[in-house]
Amino acid sequence: MLRLSWSSFVERWALFVGALVTVCFGVALVQSSLLVLISAATYQLPADLSVLERARYGEGTAIAITLSALTLAFSAFLAVFIVSSTFAFTVAQRRRDLALLRLVGGSRRQLHRLLVGEAVLLGGLGAALGIPVGLVVMRFQSGLLTMLGFAPPGFAAEWRNWILGVSAGVGIGVALAGVLVAASRAARVQPLEALRDTGESARVMTVGRWVIAGVFAAGAIALVVLAPIGGAGGAPPMAINAALCASVAMSAISPVLVPVVSRLLPSGAGVITGLAGANLRDGVRRSAATAAPLIVLVGLVLGQSVALASFASAGELDQRASTVADLVVEADGPVGPRVAAVAGVAAHSTEVEVPVTVTFTYDDDVDVEGGSGLVVDPVAYARFHPGTDAVAGLGGNAVVAGPGRGAGTPGSSGELRIGDTAAGPLHVVAEVPSRTGGGADLLLPGALVPADLLAQAPSRTFVELLPGADPATVAGALAGIGEVSTLDAWASRDAAARNATSISIFLVVMGLGAAYAVIGVINAGVIGAAARRTEFAVLRSTGLTRMQVVRAALVESLAVTGIGLLLGVGAAAGTFVAVAMSTAAMIGIPTITVPWAFVIAVGVGAVAICGVTSVITTVAGTRGNPVSLLAARE
Amino acid sequence: MTTFSAPRTALAAVALHGVRRTYGAGASAVRAVDDVSVEFPRGTWTAVMGPSGSGKSTLLHCAAGLERVDAGRVLLGDTDLTTASDDQLTQLRRSRIGFVFQSFNLVGSLTAQQNVALPLRLAGSSPSRSEVRAVLAAVGMADRARHRPRELSGGQQQRVAIARAMVTRPEVLFADEPTGALDSGSARTVLALMRSMVEAGQTIVMVTHDPAAAASADATVFLRDGRVVDRLIGATTRDVADRLVALEG
Ligand SMILES: Nc1ncnc2c1ncn2[C@@H]1O[C@H](COP(=O)(O)OP(=O)(O)OP(=O)(O)O)[C@@H](O)[C@H]1O
Ligand SMILES: [Mg+2]
Repeated sequence: MLRLSWSSFVERWALFVGALVTVCFGVALVQSSLLVLISAATYQLPADLSVLERARYGEGTAIAITLSALTLAFSAFLAVFIVSSTFAFTVAQRRRDLALLRLVGGSRRQLHRLLVGEAVLLGGLGAALGIPVGLVVMRFQSGLLTMLGFAPPGFAAEWRNWILGVSAGVGIGVALAGVLVAASRAARVQPLEALRDTGESARVMTVGRWVIAGVFAAGAIALVVLAPIGGAGGAPPMAINAALCASVAMSAISPVLVPVVSRLLPSGAGVITGLAGANLRDGVRRSAATAAPLIVLVGLVLGQSVALASFASAGELDQRASTVADLVVEADGPVGPRVAAVAGVAAHSTEVEVPVTVTFTYDDDVDVEGGSGLVVDPVAYARFHPGTDAVAGLGGNAVVAGPGRGAGTPGSSGELRIGDTAAGPLHVVAEVPSRTGGGADLLLPGALVPADLLAQAPSRTFVELLPGADPATVAGALAGIGEVSTLDAWASRDAAARNATSISIFLVVMGLGAAYAVIGVINAGVIGAAARRTEFAVLRSTGLTRMQVVRAALVESLAVTGIGLLLGVGAAAGTFVAVAMSTAAMIGIPTITVPWAFVIAVGVGAVAICGVTSVITTVAGTRGNPVSLLAARE
Repeated sequence: MTTFSAPRTALAAVALHGVRRTYGAGASAVRAVDDVSVEFPRGTWTAVMGPSGSGKSTLLHCAAGLERVDAGRVLLGDTDLTTASDDQLTQLRRSRIGFVFQSFNLVGSLTAQQNVALPLRLAGSSPSRSEVRAVLAAVGMADRARHRPRELSGGQQQRVAIARAMVTRPEVLFADEPTGALDSGSARTVLALMRSMVEAGQTIVMVTHDPAAAASADATVFLRDGRVVDRLIGATTRDVADRLVALEG
């Protein structure tokens, strides 16, 4: 059996290379994310950092940990998903070989053993390749964390010896998980199928696929329903995961969906297009295998980018709605008196932002919270931010929990530090309504903050004009104090700054994930074409030129790509619904923002990759004289 | 009548009783095999002939336990193939049944000798090299033992396929157009090999379109529209050809 494994390995290497590449990258990604995660979690900040830097990098490390955990979860998911779809396809392509073994006396158990043996071999080999590749990915990931400012310069993830065992386990594990269903299915192949060599006689849509589709569709629906009650913290991850579940469900039922959607394609547009359409429907498995990674790629990228953009817009709208002002002046320190002196200003609220750390002591626990504090004048603040009357409680050591809610709840007491300076005890006495887009964690009275610190800290001053005052004239006069903007312009800049972190996270996680999904797409193309040499030879001996064969394959591939994109959008639709419902629950207006340039770039990129893969593999697959290929059929 | 048929059944290597196989359903249903009862006596060589689409291959597949039957029984000696489990059928393919087909169905990644050894290895024994060589020598392929199928001509591939079917010394060899893809010289070699198997006591059921191949067999069964319509014993090429023309006309 082992000899047979090895010889079929050598013979069908084109099929196996694809599986090997997916295992290799899966192992590399998982290994790298795990090492980065552990290094970030156990990272000791250098001793010579100031308290302020310490607080800043402490927060950054927390983000780095979240980010690596996300990447780890995401790459583990993709590894299992893409490796199983590649393995299932590889096994399906060899159905006839397997039937032949059955014909000459192979038992189901032997076939099963053969396939599982191959998977272990591929998993081990993939891990062996993946471990060094993982080191390269890890350098890249560490560098990225430093570049984005989540880790201090000099941060490097560390190698650990035990990771060798983990990576080998991951490689063999995903390979086994990927092959088990396919193997028990393939082991049931009828010996007679060895004698039928045209078309696939096996049913592609299986009970297993229906079950997976059902479970994940139910998960997606549950997430869509729950997202609106998840609040500002829970809604975005739930909305994004709805697309993830929906895309798994979509790819599971793609053997049913692909032929249905393919009927929407124009028919009767010439012999090449007709042939492509027929191949598309006849090779359901091949079409579905190509569409699956595309669906996941598009579903996730679209779902996540739209969710992020929409929640950012909702935050901006909320910010905008919770503030009433004509102009905003950004400057350093408490510039209130100077603003008040400008002609045409009716009222103002100066809010100075300072970094705060609060040490809360509970019965048996000490909790240090870092965040941003906003030094405000209670009367002015309440005037410019409707609904925040609770701010009136400010004074002495009494502070109010801010809209960002990062430090303390009413009733808690602690020790306050502002930057490096101890600022005495504080009591949280009240809270203002929390806001979708976040904001200051604590509202502080001016007396708590040393004057010299206050003078250097950035401030924003909301300005209300006197009736009849000309905004342009007043803005001109205020320009000497700081940067003047309208409320709208300021709100959108503020929202963008607030979202920079989540957008970085998105880019890192998505970038790695998308690269992996692209490998899956290319793989399906290569494996599909490798198994079609005979089919291409038949076409050519029927009278098609090589160019025409390449064109037919290209049309087919573009159609599958289109279908994959369409189904991916369908999967992302779950997220759109969740986002609309959640933002409606949060700010009263359903908000959907589509980052069109990005979405279009993803679509065009997918089409280009599939098209190029198809042309290259078909050109390679039609090399040589078709007649000699047909004569050499065993 | 029952007393008459009982001893005959005991003699048959393979017996079909009222076998039916229908493909599809409703208006498009095709009765590929329609109530066929036929016996293939032990140690004989029977050819199955008939127009294209008359159900020859389907009949062969049913007789070999490769195809499910809708009605009737198929007996291999005293084993009922219609009720056998998959594991039992696998055992039979390893020990008592062999196959040769028009498309040679060799494993492309294995050499000729590995292909021949495959059924024995699947059955769990490790055949000696000399044993495998001997079988290859019997089909005149000893000098090509290390070649892969794509390095062999069609006739050579078919001889390797026959060697693979011979190596387990099956009671019954099922062959579907074994000479269909061969020139007349190669066909004669293959037919001679089959004759030597029958002389050694094995039973052969062979579907063919070639009257000369049918004339090499001991008996010929004619099918039309899924039914047995005639039977000749010890016929010449001429007899068979005439009967076939009458059938198709
Ligand atoms: N898998 C199948 N599905 C549906 N119909 C089938 C199938 N296999 C065979 N048939 C039909 O059954 C009938 C008998 O087919 P079979 O292959 O047994 O014919 P045959 O006598 O071997 O023909 P030939 O000499 O051309 O090989 C034909 O009408 C064929 O169309
Ligand atoms: Mg036939």
